[in-house]
Amino acid sequence: MLERVGVQTTADTQAIDVTGRVREIVTASGVQNGRVFVNTLHTTTAITVNEGLEDLEDDLLEFLRDLVPAERPYRHARFLHSDGQMAVNAPSHLRGALLGMHVSFPVADGAIVAGSRQTIYFVELDGPLFREYTVQVLGE
Amino acid sequence: MIDVHTHPVQVAELLRDDPALVRAVREVFGLFMPPQPLETFLLHLDEAGIDRAVLLPIDCTTAHGVTIVSNEQVAALVERCPRFIGFASVDPNLPDAPATLEHAAQEYGLRGVKLDPALQQFAIDDPQRAFPVYARAEELGLPLLIHCGMSWAPKGRSALANPLALEAVVQAFPRLRIIIAHLGWPWVNEAAMLAFRYPTVYLDTSVLFSGTPTESLRQALQTSIGIDALDRSLSRQIVFGSNYPRVDPKRAAWAVEALGLRPKLQQRIFHDNAAALLGLGGGEA
Repeated sequence: MLERVGVQTTADTQAIDVTGRVREIVTASGVQNGRVFVNTLHTTTAITVNEGLEDLEDDLLEFLRDLVPAERPYRHARFLHSDGQMAVNAPSHLRGALLGMHVSFPVADGAIVAGSRQTIYFVELDGPLFREYTVQVLGE
Repeated sequence: MIDVHTHPVQVAELLRDDPALVRAVREVFGLFMPPQPLETFLLHLDEAGIDRAVLLPIDCTTAHGVTIVSNEQVAALVERCPRFIGFASVDPNLPDAPATLEHAAQEYGLRGVKLDPALQQFAIDDPQRAFPVYARAEELGLPLLIHCGMSWAPKGRSALANPLALEAVVQAFPRLRIIIAHLGWPWVNEAAMLAFRYPTVYLDTSVLFSGTPTESLRQALQTSIGIDALDRSLSRQIVFGSNYPRVDPKRAAWAVEALGLRPKLQQRIFHDNAAALLGLGGGEA
C-alpha cells in the first residue's frame, strides 16, 4: 500500500519529524514483515534520518547552508517558461541533492525496525509550501 | 513591511471553484505551477517579513475574454484576511470602466487601480479609452499601479508598456499617483527619468529578467540608476514589490537587503513610502 501525506511547511528551511506519521501508516497497513519506503515528491525537499534533537536539526540545516551558499553565480537563475516563474532556487536543489530523497526501514512484527534515536525527517529547503511525501509499505 | 505587488493567481481556494480562472491563469497570465492553499501565501509573507500585501487583479475582458482574478474575488480575500490591501482592475477598452472603478472603490473598498497595457492591450496615452480611467482614479484619490516593461505573460505585448508614454498621463493628471511596476525593465532609465522629473511617479522594485532577484535589482538600481541618485532624488518614490508568485517574496526582500542601503532608505522602500501612498498611517513623519 502507498499513502500520500501532505505537509504545510512554514519556513524557508525546516526539519519536520514525520516518524510518528510513518509508524501510524505502517501499523494501518497491516503488513507484518516487509519494508517501508518514505519518498519526497519534490526536488527542493529531502528525506533523511538523524537523532531527533533540536540542536542537531539546527546544526544540520546550518551546515547545509554553509556547504551550498545562497549567493553564487548559479546557472539555474532565470525565468522558467514551463513554470511561468523565476527559477532562482539553485541552492535549494543542491541542498536537497546532498541529503537525498528517500529512506527505507525493515518492518517486522507489524512495526518499523529502527534504532531508538533514529528520527525520520521531511526537510523543507525552499518553503513555505504545501508539500507531499509518500509512505509505501511492502510485505505480507 | 509592505509589498505593493502580488497576484493572487495561485490561491487554491479561488481556483478550485473557478475553472475560467484556472484557464485565464494558465493561458493568459502564464503561470503553470500547481495551486497552493491561501495559508501558503500568508506564510510566504511571514517568511519575508511582510505585514501587508497589495493584491492585484487584471481585467482582460476585451483583449482575452477573461479577468485574471476579479475585483469581487480580491474583495473577498481582503475580507478574509485584513493583511491584504485590494486593488481593482478595469478594462479601459470598455466604456463603463470609470463607473466600474468607482463601484469597486465604493462598494468593495478597493484602494487603488491596477492596469496592464501589455495584457489588456490599450495604449497608455489613449485619450479616448485610458484617460477617463485615470481621471476617475485621480478624482477618487486612488493610486495607479501600472505594468511597464517586458511582459512575461504569453499574451502580453511589451511594446504597449513603454513607460515613456506615461509622461502625457502625468501631465494631464497631476494629482494621480502612479507606480511604475518592475522598474519598467528594459526601460529602466525611462522609468527613472519620469520619477526624477515628476514627484507623483513611483517605482516598484519587482524587476525580473534573468539571474536572481538580487542580481536583477542590483543591475537596475545600482548599475543603471545609481544608489546615490536613488538616495538623493528618489528616496520617497520607490516602494517594495515582489511580483509574487513570479518570484518568492523572501527572495525579493533579500534582494533589497543585499543592496546594503542606508537604513533610512531601506525603511522607506520596505514600508514608509507605501504606507504614505496607500494612506495606511505609520509612514515616516
